[in-house]
This record gives sequence, C-alpha cells and structure tokens, in this order.
Amino acid sequence: MFESSIDRIPDVFMKVPLVNFVLLATMLFVIGIVGVLIRKNAIIIFMSIELMLNAVNMLLIAFSSYKSDPNGQIFVFFIMAVAAAEVAVGLAIIVMIFRNIKTIDISILNKLRG
Amino acid sequence: MTFIALIPLFPLIGFLINGLGYGKISKTAVPWIGTGASLLSFVCVLLAYLNFKETAIIVNLFDWISIAGLNVGFSFQLDQLSIIMLFVITGVGTLIHLYSAGYMSHDEGYGKFFAYLNLFLFSMILLVLGGNYLMMFIGWEGVGLCSYLLIGFWNKNTDYANAARKAFIMNRIGDVGFLIGIFLILQNFGTLEYLEVFEKAKAFHVGDGIIVAITMALFVGAMGKSAQIPLFTWLPDAMAGPTPVSALIHAATMVTSGIYMIVRSNVLYTLSPFTLEFIAWIGLATALLGATIGLFQNDIKKVLAYSTVSQLGYMFLGLGVMAYSSGLFHVITHAFFKALLFLGAGSVIHAMSDDQDIRNMGGLWSKIKITAITFLVGTIAISGIPPFSGFFSKDEILAHVFEHNKIMWALGMLGSFMTAFYMFRLFFVTFKGSFRGTEEQKHHLHESPKSMTTPLIVLAVLSAIGGFIGFPEVFHLPHRLNEFLSPIFENSRLVNSSFGVVHISHNLELILMGASVLVAVISILFAYMVFGNGKNVPVADSEVVGLKKLVYNKYYIDELYNKVFVGPISAISFFFANVIDKKLIDKIVNSVGEGVNFSSKKIKELQVGVTGSYILFMTLGILLLVLYQFGPSLLSTFNLLQNK
Amino acid sequence: MYPIIVFSVSGLLMLFLGLSVNKKSLLPYNLLFMLVGLASNFLDWNAPGLYFNGMLEISNPIILVQWVLIFAAILVSGISSRQFDDTHAYPAEYYAIMQFALVGALIMVSFQNLLMLFVGLEILSVGLYVLTGSDKRNLRGNEAAIKYFLMGSFATGIFLFGVAMFYGATGSFDISSGNSVANNLLEGKMFFWLGMVFIFIGLLFKISAAPFHFWTADVYQGAPTVFSAFMATIVKTAVIFALFRLAAYSFNLEYENWSKFLVIIIGLSMVIGNVTAVFQTNFKRVLAFSSISQAGFMLLSLIGLGAQSYGNLGFYSLSYALATISAFGVFLVISSNTIVEGRPSENINVFDGLFSRNPDLAIILLISMLSLAGIPLTSGFWSKFFVLNDAAAKGYFWILILGVLMSAVSLYYYFNPIRASFKKTDLGKIEISSLSKYTLYVCAALTILFGIAPNILRSLF
Repeated sequence: MFESSIDRIPDVFMKVPLVNFVLLATMLFVIGIVGVLIRKNAIIIFMSIELMLNAVNMLLIAFSSYKSDPNGQIFVFFIMAVAAAEVAVGLAIIVMIFRNIKTIDISILNKLRG
Repeated sequence: MTFIALIPLFPLIGFLINGLGYGKISKTAVPWIGTGASLLSFVCVLLAYLNFKETAIIVNLFDWISIAGLNVGFSFQLDQLSIIMLFVITGVGTLIHLYSAGYMSHDEGYGKFFAYLNLFLFSMILLVLGGNYLMMFIGWEGVGLCSYLLIGFWNKNTDYANAARKAFIMNRIGDVGFLIGIFLILQNFGTLEYLEVFEKAKAFHVGDGIIVAITMALFVGAMGKSAQIPLFTWLPDAMAGPTPVSALIHAATMVTSGIYMIVRSNVLYTLSPFTLEFIAWIGLATALLGATIGLFQNDIKKVLAYSTVSQLGYMFLGLGVMAYSSGLFHVITHAFFKALLFLGAGSVIHAMSDDQDIRNMGGLWSKIKITAITFLVGTIAISGIPPFSGFFSKDEILAHVFEHNKIMWALGMLGSFMTAFYMFRLFFVTFKGSFRGTEEQKHHLHESPKSMTTPLIVLAVLSAIGGFIGFPEVFHLPHRLNEFLSPIFENSRLVNSSFGVVHISHNLELILMGASVLVAVISILFAYMVFGNGKNVPVADSEVVGLKKLVYNKYYIDELYNKVFVGPISAISFFFANVIDKKLIDKIVNSVGEGVNFSSKKIKELQVGVTGSYILFMTLGILLLVLYQFGPSLLSTFNLLQNK
Repeated sequence: MYPIIVFSVSGLLMLFLGLSVNKKSLLPYNLLFMLVGLASNFLDWNAPGLYFNGMLEISNPIILVQWVLIFAAILVSGISSRQFDDTHAYPAEYYAIMQFALVGALIMVSFQNLLMLFVGLEILSVGLYVLTGSDKRNLRGNEAAIKYFLMGSFATGIFLFGVAMFYGATGSFDISSGNSVANNLLEGKMFFWLGMVFIFIGLLFKISAAPFHFWTADVYQGAPTVFSAFMATIVKTAVIFALFRLAAYSFNLEYENWSKFLVIIIGLSMVIGNVTAVFQTNFKRVLAFSSISQAGFMLLSLIGLGAQSYGNLGFYSLSYALATISAFGVFLVISSNTIVEGRPSENINVFDGLFSRNPDLAIILLISMLSLAGIPLTSGFWSKFFVLNDAAAKGYFWILILGVLMSAVSLYYYFNPIRASFKKTDLGKIEISSLSKYTLYVCAALTILFGIAPNILRSLF
C-alpha cells in the first residue's frame, strides 16, 4: 500500500515514509487520550480532545498528500469548522458551570450516579 | 363460518366493557356482562361444532405479516382438537364465571376481576383456536400475563405480588424454549401454519436431529406453562390468587396448554421417540413428586395444587408413550373434577371465613352439605373409582404405559395409590370428625349462595359421567373421543408405523383395570383407617418431625401404618417438599434472582458518576475490543512490516 | 433531501419568531414546521438517486426512515406542551435547536459520504449538548451537559480517527469504496480494519451500546425530560441507521470480522442494560438502562443483515419510539405534578395510584411498558420477533437465548411502574394539557395497532 503511490508524492516527502506520519499522529492521538484520562480541569480535558482531533487532521493530510487526493484536506477544513462550533458550545457549558459552582474541576461533578 | 370468529370476540368485548368501564358500571351489571360473554362464546362453540364436518376449517381473518420469507396469518383453525379444548375452556369457564359472581361479590375490585377473567378467556381461546404457532404463542403469552394479573389480584400483600412475579418469570423461562422452537420451525419449514408444517414434516424421518431439537425446545415451553420438573414450583405459589382463578387457570385450562401444544404437534413428536421418552420420564417424575408432596400438606389449596402438578405429570406420561388422545382425555376429565375440587375448596374457605388450613376444619359434612357431597364426587373421580370419570382416563393412560414400559407402569400405580390417599385424607380431615376452628368461625359456617353451588352441582355431574365419552375397548362400547379425534393423528400414523398399535389382550386389560381399582380402594381404606374417625389430625408444622404425636389411637393398624407408611413416606414427602422444592429448586430460582440483584448492584458501582472514570472504562473497552478483534493479525502485520 | 432544507430554514425562522411571538404560541409554529417537513418528503418519493455530488442518497426506504424521525420529533414536541412555560425557559431556541438536530439526524440516515456522516453526527450532537444543558440553573443539568459534551467529543475523536484510517486504506470517503479493498492482502487491510473498528465504536457510543454506555443514565437523568425523550428516540434511530448503512455498504464484505465483536457488544448491552435497570429508583435512569438494552436488540438486525433487516430495523425504531415517548410523556405529566423539595420528583413512586388519579394515563403507561417488554399484541413484540428472527437466520442461537432471557429480566422493572400505578392513593386527579393527551393517545393507539396488524407498517419498507 505504501509503495504503490510513492512516485506521485512531492519531493520533500520522499525522505519521510508515510508510516512515520501515521506513527506520529497515533502518538499525538494517544497523548490526547491520556490527557483526557488523567486531567481533572475541564478546559485541559477539552484541549486534549482538540489534540486528538488535530492528530486526526494530520493523519488525513498525510494520507491526502501520499494519495494525491484533495478530499482528505477538504475533510480537515470540516473538522476544523466543526471543532470551532464545538468549542463555542463547550466553553459556554464550562462558563455556565463555573457561574454555578465557581470551579471547573470535573471530578466534583459526580452527583449523577448509581 | 362466522361463529368461529365470534368465539374469541365475545370475551374480548366483555373485557373491554368491564375494563374500560371500571368503576362506572354498576356492581350488579358486572357479573352479567362477564358471565354473559363467556356463555355466548360457549354457544358459538356449540354452533360451530354442530356445523363441523370432519375436515379442519381455516379462517384467515387477515395477513399478519407477509414479507419475503415470513408469512403469518391471523388465522383460526377449527378442528376436532380445538373443538374439544374450546368446549372445556368456555364450558368450565362459564361455570367459573358464574361461581365468581358469588365468590368475589364482597371484593372491591369486582369489575377488574371479571375484566381479567374475560381477557384470560380471550387469550386462552386464541391459544387453542389459532391456526399457527405464532397465534399459539400470542395466546400463550396472553394467558401468562392474565395469570400474573390474577395471582397478584390482591396486590396489597407483597407475598402475593412476589408469587405473581415468580410465576410470570418462570413462565418466561419456559417461553425461551417455545420461542426458540418457533424460530427453528421457521428456519427449517419456512412457515408456521400448522397444516403446512405438518405436511412438510412428513418428509422427515424418525429420529432426525432437527426434529428432536424442535420438539425439545417446544417441550421446555410446555414445562414452564404446565408446571413440570423443574419449572413447577410456581404453581403451588400461584394459589395466592383468588380461588376461582386457581380453578380456571391453574387447574382446568391454562396449565393444560402444554399438553394441547404437544397433541397439536403430534406429528413432530411422533418423529422424535427420544423426546417422547424424555417427556414420559419427566411426566412420571413430576407425577410422583407432586403426589408425595401432596401427602402431608395442610393448606387445602396447596394439596390441590400439588395434586394438579401430579395429574399434569400423568398427562405428560400419557403423551410420552404416544397415547395422545388418552392424555387429552385426562385433560378433559381433570378439568371437570379439579375445577370441581377447587371450587369446592373455595366454598369451604368461604364458609370458614377465609381460613385455608384443614387442621382448623373438620365435621363440615353436615354444615355445608352440597359442597361436601360434590367434593366427595370429585375426590372419588380423581382417585380412579369406576364409573367416575377419572377412572376411564387414568386407566387408559396406565394401560398404554404398561405396554410401553412395565417399570413406568408400576411407578404410575404407586402414584395413583398416593393420589387416592392424599385426596381422601383431605376429604376426611375436612369434612369428618368434629369442628376444630374458632367459635367465631363456627358461628359463621354457612352453605354458599346458589350462584356458587350451581356450578358445583353441574361439575359434579360432569365429573361423575364425563368418562363415558371414552369406554375401554374391552367393554365393546364406543370410544367416542378416540373416533372423533382420529383425523388429528392421521399424519402421525403415516410417519411412524409404531403409532397407535395396541398389543394388549382384553384379558390383560381387565386385569390392569382391576389392579388399579384395587390399589385405589386399598388406599382409600388406609386413609379411612387413619383419618376416617376424625381424630387423627395433622399436627402443626413445627411438630411434623416428631411424628409420634400424629397417632392418638393405639390400634395395631395405626402402629403398622406409622412404622411402615407414615415414617418413611412422610420423610420422603417432607424431603421433597422442603429439600427438593424449597431448598433446591426454589434456591436455584432464587439464586438466579439474587445473582441478578447482586450483579445489578455491582454494575451500579461502576456508574461512579465521574467523567474521567467513564472515559477510562470506555478506553479500556476500546482497547480490549481492538485486541480481541485484531490482536493476532495486527501482530503479524507489524512483523511483516519490520521484516521489510 | 427537502426536509433537510425545510428544517434548516425553519430553524432560523423559529429563532426570529422567538423575538416577536408569545411563548405559548411557539409550539404550534414548531408543529407546523415539522408537518411541512414531513410533507416535503413526499417530493422525493419515487425519485431515488444520489444528490449533491454524490453526497446524499435518496430512496424510498430512506424516506420512510426520515418520516419515522420527523414523526418521532413531532411526538416529542407534542409531549413538550406546557413544559417551557416558566420564565427561565426559551422555547424558541429549544425548538430551533431541535429542528437543527433533526437536520443532522436526517443527514445521518441518507449519507453517501463519510464527510456527510461526520457533519450530520456533529449537527445532531452539538445541538444536543446545548439542549442537555438548557436548564441553566439546574446543577444536575449542568453536570449532564459537561459529561455528555466531554464524552461525546471524545467519541467524535475516536470516530474521526477511524475515518482517517478508512481514508488511508481506500483513498476515498465514499461509503461504497470499502469494497475496493476487499481483495487486498492482510497488511493492506490493517488500516481498513482499524478504521472499521474505530468508526463502529464512535457510533456505538452514540447509541449507548455497552461498554460505551456510561454516559447514558447520567445524561438522561440530568437533561430536561423532553430532551431525554429526544435523545432516546431520534438520536438512537439516526445512529442505528447510519451504522446499518456502513455495515451494509462499506463493510459488508468484512461481515465475518465485525460480526464477531458486535455480538459481544450486543450481549453486553442486553445484560448490562437489563440487569442494572432492576435496582434503579429514578424512572429516567430506568428508561436510560432500558434504552441500552433496546440498543442491543436493534443491533441484532445488523447481525442479521438480510434483505429484510432494514425493514425490521425501521419497524423496531418506530415501535420503540412510540413506547418510549409515551413512557416519557406520562412520566413528564405526573412528575411535574409531584413536586418534592421544590423540584419535580423523578422517583419511580410518582406512579403510585396513577390508575385512580388518571386512568387514561395509567393505561397508556401499561401499554408502553408492555410494548417495551415485548409482550404480544403490542408492536414491541413484533419488533423483537423480527430482529430475533434475523439473528436466528444467521445461526446466532446463543444471542437469541440471551435476548429472550433478558427480556424476562426486563419484566421485573417494567412491571414496577405498572404495579405502582394500581396502588391505592389519596392524591387528587392529574390534569393534562390536551395536546400532550392526544399525543399520548396517538402513541398508545399506534402501539396497539401495529401490535395487532404489524403488516400495515412492515409492508411499507
């Protein structure tokens, strides 16, 4: 799969095999997941999720370049736009919570359970 | 054949009127509507029967489902089998409706009760009149639901509500089998219509694996509904419901639907001798277990409940030896005498101001004469004394069993010995001797109103002469039931040559008959010697272990009885009742329930309410899934990549 | 396709109406828009094909599912009457967001390109994050919103990772491109398989299949009840059909691979959903866990994946929506009549004595519970029958046995409200607005109608 399209990619990428991009994106993705798991501050968690999305963006761009197919890059625009909408809503929710309980530590939000 | 569609319609209308008008309809109109609906339905059955000619009539009201690979019609099938079941259901049903009019008259949920009863009749009619397995299943679930509603009728008491729930859930476990049977039939025959399934079944051979699987799955359903080992413990608990309910649902009709189902599918069962053998042994074991536990119960309804379990066992024993029509014969006679006994018990309970313990009764013979006499008729009938109805049907089953397997026959005789004993014990303790209840109860003793005694008398007559529809061959009198049912078993004769062949000589038949009568008579004499004088009263539960107190009189026969009979048998009875029934089976059922409760609590603990933990669980889930799915292939892929 | 345009426009209109129109007359407008959307779908009838440069597919079966979605939204709007009367509620915004979310749901059942699936999923989800937190002063609502939002975004990330992998393997986002890698060697398929699993997981989260179900109960409990009903029905229907499209068009050649883990998820969902529901005292949580187990049943038709499965799923979705919305509707009315500590009580004992307080509601509740439990002569029986038959056709008998056993367990908790409603009580009658009353009548009547004559609905698909 990696070899099939190698003649069509730009020169600058020739030195970096696709698998490196994939591994880097996966690492970023996993860092994002770990961030979500270990942090308690809602904003930081939110940032970690953004990191996950950006890892995906990078993956898409890498695939897009190697396949010489613009669709992947278009998708990235959509992800960015939607992520912006999510940020708007997400920050609004966080502000709402901060107004009510004066903290954004999600570990104390555990009244709904059982 | 418009009558056919009307049969289920009347109870449905009755249910809708009484149900939707609950609280608005006056108390005098309620029983008229309920009983009237049932009676009209009975009349329709009668008219349908009079117009019936030999071949089955299919009435397809509309297509239920018609998509590729699945065609099920909302269809009724009227044939010999459904006619007989319908007569029993609507006939006995009408009598019990009438009885309830008196029995339940003081209850505040009068209208609700009749609405439920009508709904039950409707579902039961769907069950036996349906033209395919899905219709049967719909009725099957419907009667289960009604049984739940009626057992828990007095739902102020949590015990009753729990009994209702237990019954429903145990039935559902049986339904798992039934549903799987249905799906298997659908996969292998491509249809659920009886006639088509049985036509296609002819292409199979005796002992084919798939038929064994189907029949076993269906039988699991029958175990649940008809209270066979191991799914029988709900039936005694179901006695928490009002007595007419016990008579109608838990004796005469619903619990026999398992037998109906097997007789209906007789072709499939004939193709699978393995399943039949299994059914016969389960039936026999249930018959003995029920009878043994029944020996020393002190609650009048509990005795009858265990007796029902035991009699159902006899029916399955009959089916298991391919004596389908004999099994059905016993369904009919049992419906008469067991409904009679339950209604009689209800009348006794009514007279005793809702006390059900026979230790507080005694000497009721003169106080409530009609109830007592009719109860005696029922007791004789169930014990198998000719010419009462129970004799004919039970004897026919035992004759077939004798031909099939001598050991089974001997055990069956043992069961019938016990049956006669515990029934006459019940009769003597309740009606003979002197009254042992409180003064208040004694003052209150009275015969039940007409609406209650009339059904008793009718049922007593039926229990007495009901057996004449099927005389044994040896008397050279017609066996009308067999002749009538013959077309139902046409396919069974075709697929299995061993079906319906009788080897028993007339002399042997007479000997067998004599033997079973003798056993019953000896047993009754035994019961009379122990309990007939009205002095030997069962002691309180806590003292049952010290059985010596049981015997006051020092006749040598009592000592013999005590040594040879009471000691070991009551130990066995006690063992079955308290160890097998309460400890083992109830424990299994309860532990399933507890297991659900326990895991419910454990899983709840996972729901800690913290977002971080939830995401952690999710991530773990994802990891496990990916590893489970792709672990091996991922590993080999990475190896491949590295090697390059 | 037309309803998507209608709701995009009407959502905007709704926001403007909120400025000029009295609060109480917004609901009729909302219903009007929804009916227009429902009707506009007729324009697409019998005009199958791909639209918007091959981004959306329209065909009659898809239109039917869109009808189910819009119809469910109408019913949810119906039970919302009188719920947004107090001063802190902004019904114009809620209805507008509901319509936007509906656009997302409609896209999700007709997408032809993973980009559209993503856009649809996000329109639906972002709208719901807002609706969940719409009761700004309620701490429970806040908590539910942040939980839903964080976990939802996390799942979106997982889903997108899958999409990227899918793209890496096939070089396209078109759903039919999944078949192009069918003959590749093992190593070429690695990305594809990873993509498949992650896309599945992202979507399974949204229909709350175990073990991705943890958010469900908390969010259903915390969100305003109307929106819990919206989540339980419309979101579930949209996502299950999205999954079905993927399973049928992108991954059908990999059936052996994904069916293996899907049955495990189904089994887990049934067991966890039903078993946990047994001990819940909050009715919204009971329905949440019940929805987890129902999701398991719905997924059975993916396992079946035969010619009939799409129709079976459509029948299941509608019958589930009818039963769930009537359960939520009855609960909503009673709960807002039973104020405990200044808030509507959500405990299961609010049903105590319902039969004497309002017999109609008690009967509707009874029908709804029987349908959810799958008792014959309600549509719920048939829906379970169809999907179980699907599973049996593929030979998955153990999941069949588990399914029927678990529905026996489910009786345990579905009967609790019924038992409670027949208790005695001294509490007074319950008043109900005529709109919610008729909505509930429609739900109950259809549940019985489809139970007696399922062919009416089933033969459409």
